[in-house]
Amino acid sequence: MNNEQSKIAYINNEPFKVQGDETILHFLKRYMGDNPVPTLCDAPNLKPFGSCRVCSVEVALEQDGLTKVQASCHTPVMADSFIYTHTHKIEKLRKNIVELVLTDYPADKFETDNPNTNELKKVALDLNITPDDVRYAPGANHLNRSVDEDHSYMRSDLAACINCYRCIRACDEVQGEMVLTMAGRGFENTVIMGMNEGFKNSDCVSCGACSQACPTGAITDVFNSKTNEVVETTRTICTYCGVGCNLDVAVKDNEVISITAPYDAEVNQGHTCLKGRYAFKFYNHPERLRSPLIKRNGKFKEVSWEEVYDFIVDKLTTIKSENGPDAIAGISSARCTNEENYLMQKFIRAVVGTNNIDGCARVCHSPTALGMQRAFGTGAATNSIIDLNYTNCMLVIGANPTAAHPVTGAKLKQAAMKGTTLIVVDPRETVLARYADYHLQLRPGTNVALLNMMLYYIIKENVQDDDFIDNRTEGFEDFKSQILALDMDKMAEITGVDKDLVRNAAVAYAKAKNAMSFHGLGVTEHSQGTFTVQLIADLALITGNIGRRGVGVNPLRGQNNVQGSADMGVQPHQGAGYLDITQEEVQNIYTDFYKVEMPKEVGYKIPEMFDAALEGKLKALWIIGEDVVQTDPNTTKVKKALNSLDLFIVQELFMTETAMLADVVLPGASFLEKSGTFTNGERRVQRVNATVLPIEGTKVDGQIIIDVMNRMGYAQPAYNAKEMLEEISQIVPFFKGITWERLGTNGLQWPVAEDGSDTEIIHLEEFKRGKGKFSYFDWKETEEIIENGEKYPYIITTNRELEHYNCGAMTRRTGNVDIITEDVLLINAQDAADKNIKEGEMVCVTSARGKVDIKAKISKEVKPGVMSTTFHFPEIMVNLITSDVHDSEAKCPEYKVVAVNIRKSKGKFANA
Amino acid sequence: MSENLRKLSGRKGLDNNLFEQLVNSSKAEGTPTDEKLKDLAWEYLMGNANTYGAGSFYDFLKKENKGKKAYVCNGSACLVADTQEKVTETLAKNFSKDEIGEMCCMGRCHENSAFNVRGRNYSGMAINNLKKILSSEVSGLEKYNVAANVSNPVLTGTPLNAESFKALFVKADAMGVKNILNEIDNANVRGRGGAGFSMGFKWESCRITESDQKFIVCNADEGDPGAYSDRYLLEVQPYSVLFGIMMAGLVVGADRGVVYLRAEYSEAINITQLAIDELTRIGMNGTNIGGTGFDFTFKIIEGAGAYVCGEETALLSSIEGQRPEVRVRPPYPTQEGLFGKPTIVNNVETLATVPWILENGGEAYANFGTQKSTGTKLVCLDSFFNKPGMYEIEMGTPLSTIVEEFGGGFKSEVKALHIGGPLGGIIPTHKISDLELDFESFQKQGFLLGHASVVSIPKEFSMVKYIEHLFEFTAVESCGKCFPCSIGSVRGKEMFANAQQGEPINQELLDDLLETMEIGSLCALGGGLPLGVKNALQYFKEEIIK
Repeated sequence: MNNEQSKIAYINNEPFKVQGDETILHFLKRYMGDNPVPTLCDAPNLKPFGSCRVCSVEVALEQDGLTKVQASCHTPVMADSFIYTHTHKIEKLRKNIVELVLTDYPADKFETDNPNTNELKKVALDLNITPDDVRYAPGANHLNRSVDEDHSYMRSDLAACINCYRCIRACDEVQGEMVLTMAGRGFENTVIMGMNEGFKNSDCVSCGACSQACPTGAITDVFNSKTNEVVETTRTICTYCGVGCNLDVAVKDNEVISITAPYDAEVNQGHTCLKGRYAFKFYNHPERLRSPLIKRNGKFKEVSWEEVYDFIVDKLTTIKSENGPDAIAGISSARCTNEENYLMQKFIRAVVGTNNIDGCARVCHSPTALGMQRAFGTGAATNSIIDLNYTNCMLVIGANPTAAHPVTGAKLKQAAMKGTTLIVVDPRETVLARYADYHLQLRPGTNVALLNMMLYYIIKENVQDDDFIDNRTEGFEDFKSQILALDMDKMAEITGVDKDLVRNAAVAYAKAKNAMSFHGLGVTEHSQGTFTVQLIADLALITGNIGRRGVGVNPLRGQNNVQGSADMGVQPHQGAGYLDITQEEVQNIYTDFYKVEMPKEVGYKIPEMFDAALEGKLKALWIIGEDVVQTDPNTTKVKKALNSLDLFIVQELFMTETAMLADVVLPGASFLEKSGTFTNGERRVQRVNATVLPIEGTKVDGQIIIDVMNRMGYAQPAYNAKEMLEEISQIVPFFKGITWERLGTNGLQWPVAEDGSDTEIIHLEEFKRGKGKFSYFDWKETEEIIENGEKYPYIITTNRELEHYNCGAMTRRTGNVDIITEDVLLINAQDAADKNIKEGEMVCVTSARGKVDIKAKISKEVKPGVMSTTFHFPEIMVNLITSDVHDSEAKCPEYKVVAVNIRKSKGKFANA
Repeated sequence: MSENLRKLSGRKGLDNNLFEQLVNSSKAEGTPTDEKLKDLAWEYLMGNANTYGAGSFYDFLKKENKGKKAYVCNGSACLVADTQEKVTETLAKNFSKDEIGEMCCMGRCHENSAFNVRGRNYSGMAINNLKKILSSEVSGLEKYNVAANVSNPVLTGTPLNAESFKALFVKADAMGVKNILNEIDNANVRGRGGAGFSMGFKWESCRITESDQKFIVCNADEGDPGAYSDRYLLEVQPYSVLFGIMMAGLVVGADRGVVYLRAEYSEAINITQLAIDELTRIGMNGTNIGGTGFDFTFKIIEGAGAYVCGEETALLSSIEGQRPEVRVRPPYPTQEGLFGKPTIVNNVETLATVPWILENGGEAYANFGTQKSTGTKLVCLDSFFNKPGMYEIEMGTPLSTIVEEFGGGFKSEVKALHIGGPLGGIIPTHKISDLELDFESFQKQGFLLGHASVVSIPKEFSMVKYIEHLFEFTAVESCGKCFPCSIGSVRGKEMFANAQQGEPINQELLDDLLETMEIGSLCALGGGLPLGVKNALQYFKEEIIK
């Protein structure tokens, strides 16, 4: 009988049940614990490889019978076999192999290696062998290999390399970058980077997977992440993107010394990117703000916390009494914890008494929240990233996850490399586009037209899911007739994409057994952003790709806690838990809970705050952790608006472009210095744990808000993550079952029921709103092009670099700045030639708003007529030229379509 | 082995093959330029490291091969025949030191003095005519005996030609897949590459694996010094080999057949390609073979100098343009082989039996030989025999018959025969009478039939030096993946090199090393080497342990 239930094998003559086709090593681990036999080449997140052979065991077909030696890491367990793990023969084999390894390992290094961090030393000591026991005469060796110390982070000292291939496999199997390989053959095999050019000159993306994989520290990093003397390790969540990587932060003497990625993290499985792993040194950078500041006579002066609180409370109270609460607004931070975001919106609503609260989601994914709420009833990802393991087709629209969401990006790339169908809709030839089966390289600003084409062909080719449409959706017939009325030749002309290519991609998406879509800011940051999100939802509805594993609509959330900030009510129209604040019963709920009368009018969205400030209606603004001057569009206008405020409070880590304009600066704390929760892009609420005390002079942001709340007469207990979460779970419906304890190490995905059960996939049986709603939208040229297209015939679309994060306030204060040192303009060779611009020359880019000088990088990534750049560096201030056209529905700015003209720069940087 | 690289390479597959591009780009200068390596990496969506790393593995792609114009064979047979010093000296008069490289082995073991210039192999007396060879197109003519001890030879009879290939295909097609497989099963052919694995079982296991695509790969990477039987088949009986490949394709449902042919056999490459071209001409290669609707296309992939590519998983990685490092099994190639698709990898000699079996029936084949080792086996005899050559011998034939009757005895005194390549056993001459030519007899006596090549070790040749040569061969050819083989072979070589300098061998350490390699290695290269060394220790101990 080949019955799985009955499959048994024996470990040292004791019977155990075998699981499927598991390897012997896996089998042994399940019954003997983590290290049942030694190994040097096996690692938790790598495939079995079989190079070190130290994990070998003896296997017999009968008890104490004739045995065969097999490497346990890659040999499946045979039913009824007898596995012997520590026989004399095996122990001798292991010792003899390690002896061979030690013939080519630096003895002096072995002496100082720490067996807790050096796996070779640990295995050797366990086998009772040291370099002194080596019996071979000295011979060929690689003890004089040179050391590579050129890179900003990565280090190698290959004299200590034992050729286990772990680093190479990590670069391939985990990151998918393939920067590392062996060169040569046999004993002369050497790990090399790129074309044998060291880390710095290779295409290394500094993810550190190799460093974490190395058993001996032959490949490591400037922090010696794996081999340093760790006193204490705290697990927390990364502060950068919305992937939500778990990090193990190593601390010594209240100082963070290195970061690694835990293997048991469900989100990142032992992996993370250079931002999560290496870009942490900003937290104690000399430029950290270390005292509250008040600007007097145009100059900042350090003041005490008491003084600054008195100043703020006095000013706010005056403004409120003179101009009413609606003259005050707050912008909360997606970088802060759920608890802090909850507090900030509570402060604005319950203490100040206005709904003028908004967050950075406004300028990134507000159209996603709105569009998905309209189509499905919930403005969050329908599925989880783990669903990549179950999908057959990935549709990536307007997103560049290998740079902006590196761990998810790596997973998408891995799936594409292994053959999962990939469709990329993007004006740029991103990394993923190169691996795509279909790259629909459309003109920026034509998403709606392109998605309409896809929907047209799905109907036309009759590959829609009729059952799903009939049972779970509404509005299809109207939608269908409007779609079918479209002229595909005209759409093809508008988008600049061949219609047959669109048809083939659409059919591939529709016919895939399970298809997932992912989208980013290339969808939302458009005048038709919300409509585009609704069309993406249409695609999922028409093909029935909702409500099971491997499907769904999955926005890639930009900031670590942008999902959470909206969940917590950092929106002018919805309170904590997305309850509509214009509804009386909702107002009553909040009133009962906060014990104060609630404001009833929808408040200002961020762009409306600037308009109101310019009009003199908004007098005071408190911004936490958001550099609107550098990152919001049309910088000149933003500055003017901020300068017209009576009170401008900025709570920050650094003196950003925005903070410079403030009347009051409050020094907040970084993620490493506080506790709370972040919610990632797959609705996963995870525990953030303070790893060090706040830098002297700074305070945890939540405590700052609470201090002001109390001083303004609202009693709020001191900041405590666990207690705050308790309060939140009482008011946010989908947090009902969340407690600090239940979140455990891997968090919970909301909605979380009272019993603590969470939700990987939403809309399983029915949508939050009942039926999924089809909506049709005509493509409309953006006002930016209509008004300025003639005078400014090129289009700039903004993007992100892997190495930097948003305004760069953090990453520019880490080693990342040595890898990418400036913003550049990606320009097609043809456009460059037309304007006589050469690689590296300064280009003057003008728009209807202003001009910037920026260095040209000639690139195949963009088509003629389209250019691309980043806004990580204040030296360039790219947002001087971006437009303040906004999404018609959610008011998200249109960063992705900027009409510009270019010429070779005549300015002072011309020869730079 | 990287699943990613395998799949990325598979996107372009065989038609625009990465490895072929690497090989072709090395032709001009002996190594691909860095620019070319980068372009290929970009084209195949890989890292620069991947093309660079793959190139650095092979003798004829690595940077050190740049500018090489002549190669000297350094195989075992030429070594023991002591002919290569003169060859090298003669070449050095016409080429600079940097222009002369080494090759292992050219399969000219029957007359030695083997070298390669202008892409052709020469041997025997040719070195005396080097000037003439270099100034004109003198072909690499060689002479060796061919004979069989059966009346209706399986492998050395009248060669198939394109027309008889076609006729036999028509016959086979009429038989149908089931009957073909039956005949193969009845014949009970065991793989001739060395492992002796059942051909029918392999075909059946690939046949029942479901896949949109399958491949047949003929392992023509005959790297064992001393062996030249596959070379004979490819040069003289190419249609038989190709027919075997096509039948495998017909049986398992594959439409592509690859001959992975080592670069050292340039003549075999040319002749096999001519045969394929001829098949194309008569409609026996490509789509709709013989109007039956069966599609099958042959392709030769030329190797680039790496013995380990004879190991089937390394061979598959090689075709994929990856570094040919041995993969762990499972999955087996019949489940996940070339580009991740079910693949049959069979040796040249194994496949070449197919035409005869379909002509005469599997039973007739099984009537040859012993019960467990059916059929005939090609045996290569080196230049120490009075009648060097390649003989088709019925399995079960006494080894002494081969030595005495076919080989005609030795020219000079020989103390041992190294049979089955570098990983085979070392048989002292007094044991010849105890052996019969079959898998079981060799195994029982503590030896290995392998590919059945015979290298004679002359009386005066130092056994210590010979073992050093075996360790060195393994050290040079080891893929470097598993620790016992990659480090162990070097330490073994050093031990025997030191012994020649008067450093006594520590037998306990040597025994430990041999056991470590034998039971610890990932593949037969590191795992197989100890057999011969242990034989030598048993029969020539006084020479080794002093």
